[in-house]
Amino acid sequence: MSKRKENLLGIAMVMPSFISLLILVIWPVMISIKESFMNGEGQFSFENYIYVFTEPMMLNNIKHTVVVTLISCIIVLFISYFIAIYLRFTSSKIANFIRKTYFIPMFVPGIIAIYGFINTYRDNGWIARLIGQENLPVLMYDIKGVVMMNMWFNIPFTTMLLVSALSAIPDSVIESAKDVGATKLKIFWKFIFPLSYKTMLVATTFLFMGIVGSFTAPFLVDSNAPQMLGVSMQQHFSVYHEFGQASSIAVIMFIMSAGIGYLYIHSMMKEEK
Amino acid sequence: MWFFKSVSKRNLMEFLLVTLFCLFFFMPLVNLVILAFSGEWQYPNKFPTSWSLEWWKFVLENDEVSRSIMLSFSIAIIVTILSIIICIPAAYAFARLQFPLRRTFLFSFLLTNAFPKMGLYVAIGVLFYQFGLMNTFTGIVLIHMVNTLMYMTWIPSAAFKNVHASQEEAARDAGASPFKVFWHVTLPMAAPGIIVASIFTFLSSLDEAQGTLLVGIPDYQTMPVVMYSIIADYPSTAGSVFSIILTLPTIILLLAARRFLGADAMANGFQMK
Repeated sequence: MSKRKENLLGIAMVMPSFISLLILVIWPVMISIKESFMNGEGQFSFENYIYVFTEPMMLNNIKHTVVVTLISCIIVLFISYFIAIYLRFTSSKIANFIRKTYFIPMFVPGIIAIYGFINTYRDNGWIARLIGQENLPVLMYDIKGVVMMNMWFNIPFTTMLLVSALSAIPDSVIESAKDVGATKLKIFWKFIFPLSYKTMLVATTFLFMGIVGSFTAPFLVDSNAPQMLGVSMQQHFSVYHEFGQASSIAVIMFIMSAGIGYLYIHSMMKEEK
Repeated sequence: MWFFKSVSKRNLMEFLLVTLFCLFFFMPLVNLVILAFSGEWQYPNKFPTSWSLEWWKFVLENDEVSRSIMLSFSIAIIVTILSIIICIPAAYAFARLQFPLRRTFLFSFLLTNAFPKMGLYVAIGVLFYQFGLMNTFTGIVLIHMVNTLMYMTWIPSAAFKNVHASQEEAARDAGASPFKVFWHVTLPMAAPGIIVASIFTFLSSLDEAQGTLLVGIPDYQTMPVVMYSIIADYPSTAGSVFSIILTLPTIILLLAARRFLGADAMANGFQMK
């Protein structure tokens, strides 16, 4: 196949998918960005951004979003890494059981997981009934509830990515390191971690984007104030009918995600060289 | 005491791990199953005091519910087929062909995750309003595809990439046409990745509520949309029954496709270069 022909064929094959993306995602994103720079009279202005960055309630919401996202990401990464390492180096019955079941939450519809969570952890829920209400800390309608919900949704996916990365590390590498007397900790830092940190970055990217932009979990499980930006944006749109303000909140969330998206793309490109 | 002495420290740790794992991930789901079959479960009883199928009868005999199930399934099937048709050519091109702007096209799909969904839906709603797509079947199918473009392009692409070019060449040397090679060699070998991506597409369509609520109101009540109103208006027993009905297709799909669901097929999709 000639080079020219390959170029044309490649672009032609990408087009159906890319044009869908253009219409369903890129165009609406442009509309949002444009709206975020318009005031009520349809003129160009920074009004919406000034509102978001000066209104104390909005500043609290931004802070809350960053805190929830960072805490959730760190906990999810830590636990997923732990489970992945455990699954990679253990072949007991229990490990097999976890291997077969850990990804089930990825396939449970989100709204149902949240519903089950609320019924289990609310102050008169199942756990309160089992251990007594006074022994159960406040979990629902609180930051702890959102973080737990994020853990439930994201640990399986992150574990899956890490399991795949760790299974690519050959046993022989680890065996030979053991033979020359390397300690477990040393093997981890010298071999396992460097070979899997790239996947950690991939996992972090999707984790971060998913949690920053989340709506359903914080809407149903979080406190009323401060809110996560996803909830706040929805309210500005459907309760206050402030399309411009809602758009500027969306753009700010997008910029947060774009930062980590840039790191992801950068690392993918670098590897090729 | 003999039991505790006979298990080593490591086994004990493993036992603790699996207990925590099951409690955290499965207790909310188990709670829903118990609730669905309970007749009376007043606080602070640890378990239901009577069992009943009353709400099953109510939910299954409700016309709105059965209509929403039919609607959700027809939408999900159409979304999956359309996504496959639109995205598979692009997936193949990304894996096998070199063409200008290949990377830009490939990474542009990250935008579906980077821009907050809610903001995207609102902007799409504005577009749909102009084009008369509000409250239409087409509108809902399109908004569901926002979530599936990235999965359906990236995951199959990684699967195509893992088919060795030499195998295709061997078939071509034996005199098979390029299309025959694709149909009889490449496609079957990439099938696990395509199946995983299709399952994800199907389930994400079944699960989608926010976008559907926004563009499908008032005529198109899919299962998750009905779930929202059931949560708000009915006791948790009814919600639990409906949750089980909503999760059932997932479990059936999972069991049917169990042998394709390796961690690698998914993970590779997120590390395309």
